[in-house]
Amino acid sequence: IIKLNSKQCRIYRVRINDLEAAFIYNDPTLEVCHNESKQRNLNYFSNAYAAAVSAVDPDAGNGELCIKVPSELWKHVDELKVLKIHINFSLDQPKGGLHFVVPSVEGSMAERGAHVFSCGYQNSTRFWFPCVDSYSELCTWKLEFTVDAAMVAVSNGDLVETVYTHDMRKKTFHYMLTIPTAASNISLAIGPFEILVDPYMHEVTHFCLPQLLPLLKHTTSYLHEVFEFYEEILTCRYPYSCFKTVFIDEAYVEVAAYASMSIFSTNLLHSAMIIDETPLTRRCLAQSLAQQFFGCFISRMSWSDEWVLKGISGYIYGLWMKKTFGVNEYRHWIKEELDKIVAYELKTGGVLLHPMFGGGKEKDNPASHLHFSIKHPHTLSWEYYTMFQCKAHLVMRLIENRISMEFMLQVFNKLLSLASTASSQKFQSHMWSQMLVSTSGFLKSISNVSGKDIQPLIKQWVDQSGVVKFYGSFAFNRKRNVLELEIKQDYTSPGTQKYVGPLKVTVQELDGSFNHTLQIEENSLKHDIPCHSKSRRNKKKKIPLMNGEEVDMDLSAMDADSPLLWIRIDPDMSVLRKVEFEQADFMWQYQLRYERDVVAQQESILALEKFPTPASRLALTDILEQEQCFYRVRMSACFCLAKIANSMVSTWTGPPAMKSLFTRMFCCKTCPNIVKTNNFMSFQSYFLQKTMPVAMALLRDVHNLCPKEVLTFILDLIKYNDNRKNKFSDNYYRAEMIDALANSVTPAVSVNNEVRTLDNLNPDVRLILEEITRFLNMEKLLPSYRHTITVSCLRAIRVLQKNGHVPSDPALFKSYAEYGHFVDIRIAALEAVVDYTKVDRSYEELQWLLNMIQNDPVPYVRHKILNMLTKNPPFTKNMESPLCNEALVDQLWKLMNSGTSHDWRLRCGAVDLYFTLFGLSRPSCLPLPELGLVLNLKEKKAVLNPTIIPEAIAGNQEAAINPSSHAQLVGFQNPEASCNMSAHQQGVKRKADTPLGSPLEPGQILEKNEDSSKVKLKIREEIDMDTVHDSQAFISHHLNMLERPSTPGKEQSPLEMSMHPVATAPLSVFTKESASSKHSDHHHHHHHEHKKKKKKHKHKHKHKHKHDSKEKDKEPFTFSSPASGRSIRSPSLSD
Amino acid sequence: MADTAATAGAGGSGTRSGSKQSTNPADNYHLARRRTLQVVVSSLLTEAGFESAEKASVETLTEMLQSYISEIGRSAKSYCEHTARTQPTLSDIVVTLVEMGFNVDTLPAYAKRSQRMVITAPPVTNQPVTPKALTAGQNRPHPPHIPSHFPEFPDPHTYIKTPTYREPVSDYQVLREKAASQRRDVERALTRFMAKTGETQSLFKDDVSTFPLIAARPFTIPYLTALLPSELEMQQMEETDSSEQDEQTDTENLPLHISTAGPDFEAKDALVIVIGPSVPRVLYRSRRQVAASSSSMQVECSRPVLSSVICRRASLLERTCL
Repeated sequence: IIKLNSKQCRIYRVRINDLEAAFIYNDPTLEVCHNESKQRNLNYFSNAYAAAVSAVDPDAGNGELCIKVPSELWKHVDELKVLKIHINFSLDQPKGGLHFVVPSVEGSMAERGAHVFSCGYQNSTRFWFPCVDSYSELCTWKLEFTVDAAMVAVSNGDLVETVYTHDMRKKTFHYMLTIPTAASNISLAIGPFEILVDPYMHEVTHFCLPQLLPLLKHTTSYLHEVFEFYEEILTCRYPYSCFKTVFIDEAYVEVAAYASMSIFSTNLLHSAMIIDETPLTRRCLAQSLAQQFFGCFISRMSWSDEWVLKGISGYIYGLWMKKTFGVNEYRHWIKEELDKIVAYELKTGGVLLHPMFGGGKEKDNPASHLHFSIKHPHTLSWEYYTMFQCKAHLVMRLIENRISMEFMLQVFNKLLSLASTASSQKFQSHMWSQMLVSTSGFLKSISNVSGKDIQPLIKQWVDQSGVVKFYGSFAFNRKRNVLELEIKQDYTSPGTQKYVGPLKVTVQELDGSFNHTLQIEENSLKHDIPCHSKSRRNKKKKIPLMNGEEVDMDLSAMDADSPLLWIRIDPDMSVLRKVEFEQADFMWQYQLRYERDVVAQQESILALEKFPTPASRLALTDILEQEQCFYRVRMSACFCLAKIANSMVSTWTGPPAMKSLFTRMFCCKTCPNIVKTNNFMSFQSYFLQKTMPVAMALLRDVHNLCPKEVLTFILDLIKYNDNRKNKFSDNYYRAEMIDALANSVTPAVSVNNEVRTLDNLNPDVRLILEEITRFLNMEKLLPSYRHTITVSCLRAIRVLQKNGHVPSDPALFKSYAEYGHFVDIRIAALEAVVDYTKVDRSYEELQWLLNMIQNDPVPYVRHKILNMLTKNPPFTKNMESPLCNEALVDQLWKLMNSGTSHDWRLRCGAVDLYFTLFGLSRPSCLPLPELGLVLNLKEKKAVLNPTIIPEAIAGNQEAAINPSSHAQLVGFQNPEASCNMSAHQQGVKRKADTPLGSPLEPGQILEKNEDSSKVKLKIREEIDMDTVHDSQAFISHHLNMLERPSTPGKEQSPLEMSMHPVATAPLSVFTKESASSKHSDHHHHHHHEHKKKKKKHKHKHKHKHKHDSKEKDKEPFTFSSPASGRSIRSPSLSD
Repeated sequence: MADTAATAGAGGSGTRSGSKQSTNPADNYHLARRRTLQVVVSSLLTEAGFESAEKASVETLTEMLQSYISEIGRSAKSYCEHTARTQPTLSDIVVTLVEMGFNVDTLPAYAKRSQRMVITAPPVTNQPVTPKALTAGQNRPHPPHIPSHFPEFPDPHTYIKTPTYREPVSDYQVLREKAASQRRDVERALTRFMAKTGETQSLFKDDVSTFPLIAARPFTIPYLTALLPSELEMQQMEETDSSEQDEQTDTENLPLHISTAGPDFEAKDALVIVIGPSVPRVLYRSRRQVAASSSSMQVECSRPVLSSVICRRASLLERTCL
């Protein structure tokens, strides 16, 4: 038996060494919990889902497609000879894996800018062709794509040649990838791309959609520097012989890295006039390039080693950031990432980098706090996965702290050079394993290179989840001249762990800054730190800082008895921690003013929010004015200042906070109410200019209203905004001005719930609304880049609605959320609808959203809706809500059970939403009758038993099911197998099918089904054999099975895809357990309405070890849309 | 009658200085001419052997003669002008006579006939002085490249600039204010117009006109408008335009283009450049749309064009107000 991964594909026949082979297709993930069970328990679902995923997990030797090796070939297998597998398959209207973008305008496909690309979350290649969809199964590739002559096919490896078909209407692109690569890293993009050869590096080619070439030129003009940087620090050349970037619309993720090519969202393209997008896009480019080295070239051994790859690529990406954007930006980013991961772990209870599943027992499930299994990438919540990547690179940084960067880079270099040596060794699969990284291998090379033992660190952060939470406070003992520091830990709340080990504390005293390393131990809370300076102050003496600088300070604010200026715990962020530290307000103020580390400044700004005093105000204002200060610190100072001003509103003197400052910095000297014409040459002041009004709008007066003065000020800014002399676009600036307007809105004073009409509109709001209307309308005539202004306007309108100034109505947002608007607009509009659903508890809107989740053409939007619903749920599990009803439960259940089988990310998103709404156990809104069954499940672990069919529910406490009755059921279903079945019967049918599919490695369904199922198995096997002989019936039967998932809708525009992979099976076929036994290669060809034609590609197999070469012959997409009246497909070129 | 006689006289005499409508002196002049004609008719009658004639018949014959000569004059003038001359020559007259069916060959013989009577020249009457119609200033003489027979320059006041010295608007604040409010007015007018002529959405159910939002219309290729916004295209164009104008950086109290007091019309031009940014924007847009040449779009684009006309009128108005 050979098992391969395949989803959605319709497989016609499989031949091994030219012999017909029987095959069985069974995908348990199509419907996770089948039968009409009333089970609505998320625990049950998660377990079943995890089981389903592992039942087809290629790393465990499983797959959806089981091919039975004909008995004639068993000898080959025993002799470890090569097997060649041909698979004929087609793919009709794929719902996932490949995404088609076909704008509905006039013209040919190429003129319309129609394109297709592969996409997916983790290993998703099985969605578009049968393969061993694992990151650990490497082989070399030969790919062929036949497309319309106006199209370009971009795929992995080198483009060997492009051949026209006989009629000159089509081209075949031949790609050759000689570096062993996992199927999961194979990708494809086809479209009428414009092509740009990188002017700096000729091996790099960029592709973008028509008309965007100028943007592409500008956007990618930076890429070569990233290349140089990585090659230099890794002292290793880029492993592939070429690199391709493709920018496509409706991207699944912004950045997707595949072997020698990366697929980006077209929305990352920008011109030289755009400021804000530039750093973001460059980051994306750098990120994808880092993943080319670690992720594509070097792949992973198993899922539990994923963290190493993500960690290394994230880490070297961080190094690039440090070099490109500077140390401040880098440290700020690290701090941001640290805060994110800490917040997430504390909220959900921990992210485990290296999950180990020893013993197979689920008892000590390391992730019991989560509502999903972390055993497989495909069961992970997207948010968790993002956080996982974030933690991975932070941990990598911790390792660097321990062993030094030099060693770290040596380790990377070693990994890469081993891998590239291995990759050049042809056909030695055991050598190729050097190209796979594993946790243990990585740790071993660290200890080899550095000679240091980092085991404790790994144990703490990698093998264990959770972060550290410190509480610190101190007292100064004047007599002993000692600082008594108390550091407590919270290691009992979820997501925390206990930290034991060194902790750095930095104390800034009058005589200088001193580092102390404390040893955190079980029972020691107090630490005495001797102070160096006497409290006697030497007048007029400069105070040395950490960086050697000496500054004058006004010391009048400090405590006369103590020489301490400020104290910092773990200043280098060398622990994944959250620190809550208590020190006096003046100490925070000193820290803000004089500490040069941006992280320290950020921390002190956060702390100063609690000290609304004139001194804090002064410190913040000084920072705001200081040009040398990091702009992000200044930006957050704005918001802090606004908060302080609000807290001290009764004692505040002078004009509203920041107003005079802004006037001084950005307005004309002679007429202070008029802002200067825009000049964004200095990006720092640009960002500050953008942010200050937004923060100012948060100011409130004693009546908790936005001061009139501030509103007028912002309106004036908008009015006098003049960008004609600017080199840059001001669209982000104007968008922020609208955000500022929205920020100034306060809840309407409503007199006994009157209906909101124009007449009772507040005059201020009227002004705001006028601006919004004008901006929004102007956008229709002169749209801004990425429609930033529309996005801000929509948000602002929602704010007005929410505050009761404008009648709450989702109709506007719904129209903007329609397909055909720019994705940013859609997301903003959908966010408003989600919010509306929550606030107004509208069932209709919820249904509308759910409908969109199921039917929207853009996968990213569907994912995003689920995500937003999860973040801003209409209700939660402990809340009474009219929305929470049985129909909704069923609907969501259906969505995650079977409705999202074509997209892992979407399914996990649905699971997240279900969890947020209903929790882990049975939703409370369901009626009670099944209570007995739930108990039953708990004690018997019948969770995994799929046979909870209605009979069982009817009170049958025995889990075992009478095999004969089951067989009967099967028998009953059988006659119908060859005819079309209604979706209703699908569940039962598939159940019948399952045993058939997995005689050796029973799927999740059978695992716990003991004797009875074995009997059943036998029965099924007989049937199986019968059907196989009657191959026609067998095939048609399976076609029917396959048809359902892949072709749900109209048949009118099927994608025809043919592949001709030829494979050699490895010698080890008989060792079922070993992952290397799987072997794939397929061949396939399909012809549309005609009878299938067979086609064979012979390949030389020089070695008996596995060598996959694969060829695909892609028939161009057949969009026979009636509108165009033209079909691009043509008869196949082959034969 | 007097009129025809006058033109006939002018045509017949072939002089450029045709008499214009005149009052008394002109009447006298014409009467004198007519009297001469009567003498001619009378002498011809005598020559033909008549001894007396009734006054009425003399008058009639005089009338006929006058018409005949007038016709010759008119026709000769046409021939002469036809050949791009202003002075009739003999050949013009000859052709005219031939045209009128007169046998020219008989003319010399007739002129030299023996019994002809010689009439004394009519008394020299003063040509009527054309009264000067309100002259203002000195007419400019022709520059050398203009032939002298061309009409004279009209009175100077009809074409020469009249400098009026008014304080130009140079206050930075006022300019910015004006620019801002004008831009806003134009934008508002334009968007309102678009909203009026197209589909709208409203935030208030009861009132659709106060804050009309142009209805959201999905694009077929949404990323194109988002990534290649016409706004930026505009800005780039403007930039190249304005860079030719001057290198303005934002110094305080900067008088935009009008630095010193200058002639008024220059100031106006400069202001138009400063003020009307949205006008060219709209025009560009429509051009772009036409270039797209999708038939559905063309219907669309008529609107911006229309509105741009409105805008322009608005800015023109603004200009005249200045």
